[in-house]
Amino acid sequence: MISIVGCRKTHRGDGRQPPVPVLDGVDLEVRPHEFVAVLGPSGCGKTTLLRILAGLEGWDSGEVRVHGRPVSGPGTDRALVFQDFALLPWATVTDNIAFGLELRGVARAERTAVANRLIDRVGLNGFARHYPHQLSGGMQQRVGLARALAVEPEILLLDEPFGSLDSLTRRGLQEDVLRLHHETRKTVLLVTHSVDEAARLGDRVVLLGPRPARVIETIETGLPRPRPDDIGSDRRFVALKEHLWNRLKALTSR
Amino acid sequence: MSAGAGPRAAVLRLAGGLVIAVAWEVAGRASTSLLLPSFLETMRALAALLTGGALWRALWASNQTLIAGFAAATALGIPLGLALGRWPNPARWADPYLNLLLVVPTTALVPILLIVGGAGFAARAAVVASFAVPVIVQCARAAVRQVDPRLLDAARAFGATPAQQWRTVRLPAALPSLLVAARLGLARAVEGMVVVELLLVAVGIGGLLLDFQGRFDAPSVYAVMLVVMAEAATLTVAGRALERRLSHVAVDRD
Repeated sequence: MISIVGCRKTHRGDGRQPPVPVLDGVDLEVRPHEFVAVLGPSGCGKTTLLRILAGLEGWDSGEVRVHGRPVSGPGTDRALVFQDFALLPWATVTDNIAFGLELRGVARAERTAVANRLIDRVGLNGFARHYPHQLSGGMQQRVGLARALAVEPEILLLDEPFGSLDSLTRRGLQEDVLRLHHETRKTVLLVTHSVDEAARLGDRVVLLGPRPARVIETIETGLPRPRPDDIGSDRRFVALKEHLWNRLKALTSR
Repeated sequence: MSAGAGPRAAVLRLAGGLVIAVAWEVAGRASTSLLLPSFLETMRALAALLTGGALWRALWASNQTLIAGFAAATALGIPLGLALGRWPNPARWADPYLNLLLVVPTTALVPILLIVGGAGFAARAAVVASFAVPVIVQCARAAVRQVDPRLLDAARAFGATPAQQWRTVRLPAALPSLLVAARLGLARAVEGMVVVELLLVAVGIGGLLLDFQGRFDAPSVYAVMLVVMAEAATLTVAGRALERRLSHVAVDRD
């Protein structure tokens, strides 16, 4: 589904600042319907990797393919959920969710119908006509999630989507994402710096080293799907987290 | 804009006006100068003007210039400002000239403009436009520069074409600032209207003023000035009201 081989990227300096190598030969394979969590320390380049996949940025060398075709820009098969939500502040919840459909020229009646179904699905009933600033952070990200789902992508790209939320809200949204993944069987690539989140959500966890990023280790979590509510006390889960913690600590204390 | 406009604020404003009127009256009676009429004399002259036909004919003539000049300034300045803000690199070359235009007293340029263009309606409208254009260009440019790049990323990620990025993100995001641009431009246009008529082409309000000056009819001169101030104030208040109304639907005020 997604195939990245030896992807390198250097952010060009602007004269005053020297060029910064961000990706140092990243290899990553994502199978259909798989939920892959890319875990790495802050600023390691994992967001850049996701932006490359979303078609927002280019790369210098290596291969980045989706469905076997090289990524050459944004595509209808992928949808991105942003860390800071990036909702249109002047548009209602309905219009924000329908944004991608509007861009594709879907008629208003039809896209409103899609938006209404998704509002129900992500638990925003009664907020269709609200504006983003009238919603809590968690609700705004539900809109962000619904906006991505509205275009019916095969691949969901999640860029630290719960990073700016409080822990309770984050847990709620994580469970929603697990449920959505279970129901829709979409391929999900999640980027996060949270060990707990990576272990809790991923079928596989891909550990990236500090910048410039390389894949340090790939771990099949082997945890059951659907995830039981008490996964937090599962011994394999606890051991996985312990392992990831130790690797991350070793990587960042060099 | 004072938001706390209750009955108390209204009373205070009225009291302020009263104090000014009384001080004016006292100063006007104490002075023997022909050039300082008393408040009551001015009010009598104002009443005469408002009931006669000359003022209205003059206002009509002047406002035609104002409307044509302001419309031209907006039609020219907003697209130019947007383009300069969107493509900052070519805009760098225009920077010094634009700043110069903003700083140079436009009044000084009026004779040149009239030498080039003559004294007809189009030339007068061009002078009015030249007063308003610089501030409109600068505001429009700032407006498009301030557009949140994350929103543009979101639009691109969902496949927005360049034209769609303008329509769905840049223009809605810039709208509140464009309204400010128009309001500031209008204030400058009123200035331009009075200046061109006073300095060089004695039609409309300017002609009326020169006429009264020639006859040492100071109360009428003051009365005409009051009318011009009233028009400027009314336009500004109307502009603000329109801004608030549109901002209410168009923008998020967190």
